[in-house]
Amino acid sequence: MKKIKEYAAPTVVLLVICIVAAFLLAVTNNVTAPKIAEVNAENEAKARLVVFSDAKSFGEESINADGIKLVPALDESGATIGYVVVTVQKGYGGDISVMTGVDLDGGVTGVSILSMSETAGLGANASKDSFLGQFVGKISGITVTKNAPAENEIKALTGATITSNAVTAAVNAAIEAAGGENIG
Amino acid sequence: MTYLSILLTAILTANFVLSKFLGICPFLGVSKKLNTAVGMSAAVIFVMALSTAVCYPINNYILLPNGLEYLQTIVCILVIAALVQLVEIILKKFMPPLYNALGIYLPLITTNCAVLGVVLLNFTEGYTYLESLVNSVGAGLGFMLAMVIFSGVRSRLESCDVPKFLQGLPIVLIAASIVSLSFMGFTGLVEGLLG
Amino acid sequence: MAEKKSLRKEFTKGLISENPVMRLVLGTCPTLAVTTSIVNALGMGVSAMIVLVCSNIVISALRKIIPSKVRIPAYIVIIASFVTIVQMIVKAFVPALDKSLGVFLPLIVVNCIILGRAEAFAGKNGVIASAVDGLGMGVGFTIALCCMGAIREVIGAGTIFAGAESLLSIAGITGFDGFTLIGENSMINPMTIFILAPGGFFTFGILMACANKLAEKKGKPRAELGGCSACPMAKNCALLAKGEECGEKKEEAAV
Repeated sequence: MKKIKEYAAPTVVLLVICIVAAFLLAVTNNVTAPKIAEVNAENEAKARLVVFSDAKSFGEESINADGIKLVPALDESGATIGYVVVTVQKGYGGDISVMTGVDLDGGVTGVSILSMSETAGLGANASKDSFLGQFVGKISGITVTKNAPAENEIKALTGATITSNAVTAAVNAAIEAAGGENIG
Repeated sequence: MTYLSILLTAILTANFVLSKFLGICPFLGVSKKLNTAVGMSAAVIFVMALSTAVCYPINNYILLPNGLEYLQTIVCILVIAALVQLVEIILKKFMPPLYNALGIYLPLITTNCAVLGVVLLNFTEGYTYLESLVNSVGAGLGFMLAMVIFSGVRSRLESCDVPKFLQGLPIVLIAASIVSLSFMGFTGLVEGLLG
Repeated sequence: MAEKKSLRKEFTKGLISENPVMRLVLGTCPTLAVTTSIVNALGMGVSAMIVLVCSNIVISALRKIIPSKVRIPAYIVIIASFVTIVQMIVKAFVPALDKSLGVFLPLIVVNCIILGRAEAFAGKNGVIASAVDGLGMGVGFTIALCCMGAIREVIGAGTIFAGAESLLSIAGITGFDGFTLIGENSMINPMTIFILAPGGFFTFGILMACANKLAEKKGKPRAELGGCSACPMAKNCALLAKGEECGEKKEEAAV
């Protein structure tokens, strides 16, 4: 009898603690999950407007054959004037998720970084306007340079060539994806 | 090729201790002697690989399909704690020599943030099962490399005439800073080697 | 009266004389990792403080019910639940902070300060004293983190309070997003190395040396790695049973 108590008591207590903990977490999750989804949706909507400020509204998102997410940008009359494309590239510290606005001529209207885990102070500077602003107006086949940028070239971030290359590759992929959509 | 690049990245460029700041406590605490540093790191490699091997299927086949991602942290830490205990008991009973070499470090590893860190980072990076395992082993090897190098640095430090202001822990931290600086030299290495 | 005085002592000891980071050398991982800016440091400190206070309260309330055999797993479950709750709240209300803290938010679970206080204090003391102890330690942790963050941000990035908008927006204040001390086109560049990994170790080392100096003036011993006294797993540690203290003590004795 004593033995049963010796083994049962810790098990029961631990089990009760686990059940209570799981219950509490489930409740909190129910409360916060819609809020988190809302925040994410809001952020995405904001980011879309940043990369494609001419658009009045956005259409239904679609995923193309390569798994790239495309959202058509619409003007007042609802006609498509370009696409907002989300592409992912491997950076220095992991995946970099980039949102690019591309107009119907294949020109970049704006670039924004949705998520990345680059080194603070070096690669993380990629989210600054002074870097991302360079992409506006560029067309397919953008290259990165460490010197003064010529036509269709981007000046790399100091000490973060890998990040610069990854963002540029993501933008190029976005232009291609949007172009493919136009022809199709 | 991707496996090799994940492995090298985890060991050199994104070293867990020196650039991600995970597992600092054992790095500073157990690095005084070479043999304890090696023993501790070997145990860490083992536990990292084992907990990734167990946590990955739990996350992908039990938690994700049921929308229970929010239980990730609690489930992983419990699995790691239970695994460590289990391994300790098994080693003690069946492999006493191995237990004497590694087992004594096991209880210290439960609360090592590098282990939980690697498991959680594998989830967020979206690695496959094999990639996760490679990343975990790489992270462990990187931990070992940092520990071994640092125990060498510290043994030299013992015989140095350190200014009184910096004696003790401060100079150890500054030495760690210089070791970490040298690891920054690996920046771009993996991309350069493997294209 | 005596009761009140001792509670105040529990609170203030965490601030300076037993500051978890500078004196007990606990929680070094987040101290180094998230202190690239004051805002990050503050976010981390406050998150850890909330977890610390809540888990200290619950653990001390349950201290007579939890059998000592399953003490550690029970503590871990309780701490992990609070960490997850804080994580969800941060995700919902301060998403920018969640992004910048990344994996270190869930890693509060294995922060040795929290399990250490549970084991060393909350498991033995009453609810109110434990709550106060948690609050003191949490505030001490936050202060230490903010010191690190301030030094590294000013020298390394040339800004101060950058990203403050994400924290202030909860309180409904907008428009303040920190000051830029060194502009992009100014003569000098910020020393980026300070917000990279080596700068973290360096800043911590110098701060630790200053803390030691202050402690010495007051006749207190220098901060050393706590070894086993600070380690929450000490009681389960086979090394201790063998008479070795994490492989360090024996060596020293032999010398």
